[in-house]
This record gives sequence, structure tokens and C-alpha cells, in this order.
Amino acid sequence: MSITPEKLRYLNSHEWAYVADDSSGIATIGISAFAVEELTDLVFMALPKVGQTLKAGSEFGEVESVKAVSPMYSPVSGTVVEIHSALVDKLESLSVDPYSEGWIIKVKMSDPSELAGLLDWEAYKKQCSH
Amino acid sequence: MQASVPGLVILDPPESGEINMAVDEALLKNATSDGPVVMRIYQWDQPTLSLGHFQRLEDRDSDALLAKLPWVRRKTGGGAIVHDLELTYSIVIPNRIDQPTKGHSESLYRSIHLSLVENLRSLGWDAKLSESCTCQTSASRESEPFLCFLRRSPVDILVNGDKIVGSAQRRSETGLLQHGSFLLRRSQSTPELCGLLDATAGFISIDQENLRKKNKFDASSTVDGWIDFLRQALQAGLGKNLKVDWRNGTLGDLCSVDVGWTGSHAKQR
Repeated sequence: MSITPEKLRYLNSHEWAYVADDSSGIATIGISAFAVEELTDLVFMALPKVGQTLKAGSEFGEVESVKAVSPMYSPVSGTVVEIHSALVDKLESLSVDPYSEGWIIKVKMSDPSELAGLLDWEAYKKQCSH
Repeated sequence: MQASVPGLVILDPPESGEINMAVDEALLKNATSDGPVVMRIYQWDQPTLSLGHFQRLEDRDSDALLAKLPWVRRKTGGGAIVHDLELTYSIVIPNRIDQPTKGHSESLYRSIHLSLVENLRSLGWDAKLSESCTCQTSASRESEPFLCFLRRSPVDILVNGDKIVGSAQRRSETGLLQHGSFLLRRSQSTPELCGLLDATAGFISIDQENLRKKNKFDASSTVDGWIDFLRQALQAGLGKNLKVDWRNGTLGDLCSVDVGWTGSHAKQR
């Protein structure tokens, strides 16, 4: 799976969602390169359980950097169908590739129309430049 | 010119770990964008171990002195702290539109810690920022010291090589919480850690008598004096980031704060 930032939709809190061109209705979710840079040295990540239901904008996990704990928010509503558990032991890889290799969870969307309310790449870039 | 924001200083009496952490959690949860910046300085009613948000409770068991202490979990990250002969502070800054939502605020750490360093140096202590790091990656975090005061991050405050002040933060959708601990004296539960007033070798020798005459704070100062010292330094440090119109108050001034203390939630992960 190759995910590039231009293809993604974003929350202003720096989470991204990727939906493949298929009928699965599954969104892959992660955090942006900008967020990884803000977080600096990552030491721990707490992930949800498979089967957990999420609401768009609600917290789905937490990430600890050396000096702060920060929440991660879900861009879409739905049910967690997969978590990237191997990522927890190699968080430094997020600095290399926060998109394809750095995905965090996959969610079966309950309301795909929510994607339209997210920022596109251009709008997200503009927000980060402020 | 930057408009000032309201600020509330709360000097609380010693309380249990559960109550202290529940209050800070409630202050963060109830922060609103038009609400005050809250600075709270407090102590604990008995020596208590606070764990960083993601630390494992069983990791304290290898130290018999720590294992017998009551414990509580902080919302902030970092290492464990024994709250005994120390002062704790919390600062809650409500989210403003232009604030980031991920990671720590380096500027807040630095400005507050630099202010403390300046004020300690003005009293004669050879205080400085650590500017070194024991930071570990996720793969090697097991080797990170359990206790916060045995860890080093660049903005920690050292006196004579001993870490005297450490801080950690938490972000939420409502704001930023910064916790800090100011070690005054060595605790019997952590004999390996030195407090500021134990670090006499860290006292700068030059002009010591003049400093003592000029300032009311020295090793014989009362806890109330050090609380006032901490308050002044925190306010000066925050003032470099944010123009705050401070007033003194109590939790009762924040009518909307619902601590919702159940007596156990602060121990859950």
C-alpha cells in the first residue's frame, strides 16, 4: 500500500484518512509528517482495540513524546477493524514514513460522507504554514 | 500589542494524590478558550508516588522504598516522582485557535525553567538547564530510568549536577497541562536524589553574604517562602510567552469545574 500525502484528507489536529478506490468503505488513519515533527521523540503509543467504535473527532489513542502526552483523533466514524500493533515497537519509523509504513488504524466507516468535511492536502498545507 | 488574558493563581493546601490529580485533570477538562490560565501550586498530604501516564505500576516493585508508597497516575507523561519534600505546580493554558494540537510546547518549558534558573541564580544557586538528554526511542525505552529525577531532558533544571526541577505536559482538545516538581529536600523514599536545599555545594560562593542580605530566601527559608518564590518565577516565565492578568483565587472561583472525583479514576490507565 503506497500512500502519499496528496491523496489524503485531514483533521486540523493533524490526523489523516485514506480511502482506497474500492467498495470496502475502510479508512486507513494515521498522523501527518507535520505532527510527527511537532511531537519530536516518540516513546509510546496507546491504540484502541479491534471492534471499538469511534465517532468522528473523538479520541482513538494517545501518543507520548519525551515531554508530552497528546491525543489522536479519528477523522471518521466507524468500527476499528485493524490496528498497526507492530508500529508501537518502532515509533521512530514514523519519522521516516508517516504515511504508507506509519498507518495506525483501519476503520470501517459508518458514514463515508464525513470525508467531505475534512481538509484536502492544499487546505491542510495552508493550515500548517500559519 | 498582545491582549492580556485572565489568569488565576491557586495556592492549595496539601491533599491526597487522588484529589491533587483529579483537580488538575478537571482544570484541563473544563478549560475553555475564553477561560483563565490557571496556575496551581500545592503539596501532598503524605509521601506519594506519581507515575507518568504510560508507566507500568509493577516497575516500582524493584525498589522496596517506592513499593510501599501510596501511588497515583498523572495525566502528563515522563517518569515517576516521589512527592514528599517538594512543591508541585500545574499550569493549564486553554487552547487558542493558533495553538498546535500535538507535541510539547518547548517555548513554555524553556521560558518557565529559564525564569526559575534566573531566580535561583539571583539567590546564589548555581542553577542551569541540563541541555542533555537520556531520551529513549520506543524500542529501548525499557532502559530509561524509572524516576523522573534520574532522567535528563534538555530543559531540566540542574544544581550542582542534581536535577532539581522537572516538568511534563499533556495536550487535550481543551488545552495544555504542564506539571512540574521542585525538589526542596531529599526524601527518605529516594535517598539517591538531592533536593535544592541539600545541594549546598551548588551554592555560588561569590558575594554570598550580600545575596543572603538582599534576598529573604536561603536554606532556612520556610516552605511558604519557597511557594512564593515558585509563584513569582512561574508568573515571570509565563509572562514571556503570554501576557497574563493574574489574580489570586481558589478552585471555588472556577464555578464550572466539576472535579468528579471517584477516589479511583486517577489510578486507571
